[in-house]
Amino acid sequence: MSQAQDLLTVENLTVEFDTYGGVVQAVRGVDFSVSGGETLAIVGESGCGKSVTVQSLMGLIPTPPGRITRGSARLHGQEILGRSRIDGREIRGAQIGMIFQDPMTSLNPTMTIGDQIAEPLQVHKGLSRRDAAREAVRLLEMTRIPEAAKRAKQYPFEFSGGMLQRAMIAMAIACKPDILIADEPTTALDVTIQAQILDLLQDLQRETGMAIVLITHDLGVVARMADSVAVMYAGKVVERGSVDDVFYRSAHPYTLGLRAAMPSNDPAIKQNLQPIEGSPPDLFSPPPGCGYAPRCPHAMKVCCQQPEETRLSDVEGVRGHASHCWLHHEKSPNKPSELYFSDRSGKGLEIKGAEANS
Amino acid sequence: MWSFILKRLAQGLITVWFIATATFFAMHNVPGDPLLNDRAMTAAIRANVEAKYGLDKPLGEQYVIYLGNLMRGDLGISFTQENREVNDIIREHFPVSATLGILAVLFAAAGGVLWGALTALYRNRMPDYVIMFFVILGISVPSFVLAAVSQLVLVGTNAAFGVTVLPVAGWGTLSHMLLPALVLGLGTMAYLTRLMRSSMLEVIGSDYVRTAKAKGLPAARIFSKHQLRNAILPVITVLGPSIAAITTGGFVVELVFAIPGLGRYFVEAVQQLDYTVIMGTTVFYGAFLVFMVIVVDILYGFIDPRVRMQ
Repeated sequence: MSQAQDLLTVENLTVEFDTYGGVVQAVRGVDFSVSGGETLAIVGESGCGKSVTVQSLMGLIPTPPGRITRGSARLHGQEILGRSRIDGREIRGAQIGMIFQDPMTSLNPTMTIGDQIAEPLQVHKGLSRRDAAREAVRLLEMTRIPEAAKRAKQYPFEFSGGMLQRAMIAMAIACKPDILIADEPTTALDVTIQAQILDLLQDLQRETGMAIVLITHDLGVVARMADSVAVMYAGKVVERGSVDDVFYRSAHPYTLGLRAAMPSNDPAIKQNLQPIEGSPPDLFSPPPGCGYAPRCPHAMKVCCQQPEETRLSDVEGVRGHASHCWLHHEKSPNKPSELYFSDRSGKGLEIKGAEANS
Repeated sequence: MWSFILKRLAQGLITVWFIATATFFAMHNVPGDPLLNDRAMTAAIRANVEAKYGLDKPLGEQYVIYLGNLMRGDLGISFTQENREVNDIIREHFPVSATLGILAVLFAAAGGVLWGALTALYRNRMPDYVIMFFVILGISVPSFVLAAVSQLVLVGTNAAFGVTVLPVAGWGTLSHMLLPALVLGLGTMAYLTRLMRSSMLEVIGSDYVRTAKAKGLPAARIFSKHQLRNAILPVITVLGPSIAAITTGGFVVELVFAIPGLGRYFVEAVQQLDYTVIMGTTVFYGAFLVFMVIVVDILYGFIDPRVRMQ
């Protein structure tokens, strides 16, 4: 993460949902920050709170049953959580754009693509219908949709999935937002289209200088796109840092587990897929200690009893690389540096003893 | 679009032909005889009358004659009413029924959409509970009970004010139409409210409404441009059958409110086995309904682009 003033800072964000079964603590104190022009990837398995985190920033959490109980999110130093709805409108669509997972259902079926792209321009920029329509065509051209003028008059059912996602992107960047939140933008698309969409996002970022917050569970996408990474597990960020730090000097056992579970296409490495055994904790009654402790091969007694060190300290002196884990505590029998052994091919992920290592 | 309309009209014609044929053969297979009367007829008179109405010919020939007349728009002469053409009966009384029916349909559709959208927006809160209570009431209470009760209430209010706020029965002015149309449309309105509510709830939870929110649109714009138009589609689909329900249900309401509509002739003709009137009114009603359904289909095409393009 850069030294520059952060564009968006999220601190201790906590989101709960009331359900018939009780209160689900979906997000339990999430911290991260995004600086201008960078791409932050938020990774984690299904149900870890990635989507809820960004949707609460956009005010898209249905309340009730959801509520943001604690925390803050500052955009340009200004608090955006819990502000009145009208203020919220100034931010969403204008300063933060968002695209979603399934482009096939995320567009209004009874409205032309052009009209849907023109809408935020009319609302936020006060453009006239004609100007907004012209701008919509230009935006479609920007997202490299051929025959944009003709396509703008068509309806979503006349578009393919990849084209729809391009139209979604055109809509989200219409008002030149500082941040584009992409909630699993390629999950519903086939692989070749995925690559095109990711390329497009990168090109647009270069042209507009916007920051991208990319939600994904695809580590390949992370490696390709991200400058920095936040790994989420059971409603918390367990590790964050630059993409190189998190990938090649992983500090948290969960990150290591994720990496080990990644299939390799290198024929030199013959290894079976290594799943992380067990399942994530029940978020109706999250454990007092670390959520990952029951599945963690390095778990100690303290991991199950107390919340992991919340001090997101700089791991091994690298600024901005932080991890929530008791292993990094000074009294830990396994020193944090011992976790770092992991090379690109995924070998050497195990903690080595001090003797073996020296 | 034009080929779509022409295709639907052609389909409609086939449907009407089917209705006419089915009615014809059904009528001629009903036991009994339209010429059976209190007064006994001599065989000679009977033969004469049968010849006049063409009943002496074989069934197949009668059918061909009937279809030929139908295509010329001649629905024949009533068996029981002296010298009255079925065309005249329809011409005199159908406009009354149609006015009442259309008013009731408009009332039901507007009310259904409005209340349905409201209950969905206020889901599980007070307005929802109150409206849904009346919806259940509206669906369960038959129209003749509602008609009678509403007349009683109206008599009470008229008496209380000392002037005729609304006439209790009869026909002629708009004030005569209001209450019968309300009573006639209420059941359908309740049904449409329920449909609109569930459809609206689905739309409220849809991805594209979330997108609209993420674009930062004001709630009013999201409601009018994104929610209402999509939620209204299923309501329009059932509007055709609803028109059928309302027009055929009109008879009871017409009777209670002493409205000179077509419904009375429709029912009396069945009791008296008045072949021409039964067939004439049935085919006419059938054609009217088919036409209304086509109108609804075309309307649907204007609202949903996916239908228009096919």
